[in-house]
Amino acid sequence: MSKIKRAVSMYSLQDQYARGKMSLEDIFKYLNDLGAGLEFISDQMMKGTPEPSEETLKEWDLLVEKYKPVLVCNDVFINTCLYKNRELTDKEALDLLIKEIKLAHRLGFKMIRLVSNTRASIIEPALPYAIENDVVMTLEIHAGMSFDQPLTQAFIEAMKKLNSPYVGLTVDTGIFCRRHPRVSSAFFRELGVKQEIIDYVDNIFASGVDPKHYFMEARKQGKHFPDDLQAMIETQDEFEYALFCDGYEMSEFSILDEYLPYIKHFHGKIYEMTKEGVEYSIPFDELIKYLDKVGYEGYIATEYEGNRFALANEVIRDKENVTAHQNMLKKYIEAL
Amino acid sequence: MFDNYVFTEGSCKNVQEGDKIVGFELETLITYYRGIPCSMVHDIKVKVDNQEIEREAIRFSPDGETYFTLEELETVTTYKWEYGVQGHVRVLKEGGLSKGEHEVSLTTMIRVAYIPVPFGGTKVRKVHIS
Repeated sequence: MSKIKRAVSMYSLQDQYARGKMSLEDIFKYLNDLGAGLEFISDQMMKGTPEPSEETLKEWDLLVEKYKPVLVCNDVFINTCLYKNRELTDKEALDLLIKEIKLAHRLGFKMIRLVSNTRASIIEPALPYAIENDVVMTLEIHAGMSFDQPLTQAFIEAMKKLNSPYVGLTVDTGIFCRRHPRVSSAFFRELGVKQEIIDYVDNIFASGVDPKHYFMEARKQGKHFPDDLQAMIETQDEFEYALFCDGYEMSEFSILDEYLPYIKHFHGKIYEMTKEGVEYSIPFDELIKYLDKVGYEGYIATEYEGNRFALANEVIRDKENVTAHQNMLKKYIEAL
Repeated sequence: MFDNYVFTEGSCKNVQEGDKIVGFELETLITYYRGIPCSMVHDIKVKVDNQEIEREAIRFSPDGETYFTLEELETVTTYKWEYGVQGHVRVLKEGGLSKGEHEVSLTTMIRVAYIPVPFGGTKVRKVHIS
């Protein structure tokens, strides 16, 4: 029996919450129906984060007591761009991180996810607080800001040096795309991006590499894109389509091998669950087999990102996608 | 990508103080998926019938109670613009919007740490003032 577990990131339900369709209480009920744990974003659904009022905390406590959600992870952002005229100093950034660690502990979480590009320099001084509050700090490995990115490398270096159970990684499965998400293509097509550019990107994936690798030679020469792609780009939207397409990476699962002891958590990224009940870009069946083989015992938290690509005036099918993904995960995990 | 959160439908109204109309106001959700301190609101732009409103006439409130100029907003770190809460954009303009149809455009931009450039969204709406 596999020990891989399921959760849902509240990134997935941002629209439900913003539009007032689902309250936190509705969300807790929904998660219990799915049998899934909670990955929370306190900045999103808890007013006053990282220092919410006693009243807000009391409301949280009552809901947690009533619905008993499995509190898997809280997503943390260090607002180093707080001021327009300067970046926060390390001391200021550390103070914010300590507040977040204490809040996570107060809410009942034993893990926080630090967004990509969080500075490595604040991890060692934060470690005593993480230990004291029993909260594991994990950096997110996200496509576009993946293992080869300098800030990610600096974190990994600090993580390996500290070698503590309280410092690790959250891996976003957007690094395992086998195709460019077609919901993104449809969104940009509606903005007027030419089909030949969409085909160009699709063909990169079809050739067995991702745009990051395909563009590498051009980027070494100081260009954004290879000349033939550049020649097709006429509008800002076409430029953005080409620019964002390297935010979908096509790594082999084995890229995780050397980091396995540090991987605490996964974001199960989804852009579109198809009628057949699979994710259009990411082969979750293969991923789950790999994770089972290497003995992963943590959570995969559904992170629905197709909300970004809703066409004008189209309803965002967030709950439907999350439910379909959870059903798929359950099926694959039970089949192991 | 966040344009659908900008400029809440039906929210644009003239603002009356005493017996005077001092300007007009509209509401918007944040172009993001979490709340941020107000100082991270990078810029707000309003156009009426294709005419850009001068920056000095724009005020922002994260709660409809306390209003800041855009210059003041840069140091407002203790008030958060919470996720799912309407932010209020007020334009000081004697007499507000004249009766009839107007085309009003709102742009909001924010800064976040892991994205290298400020980003946001724009929405243009036809507004009827009666």
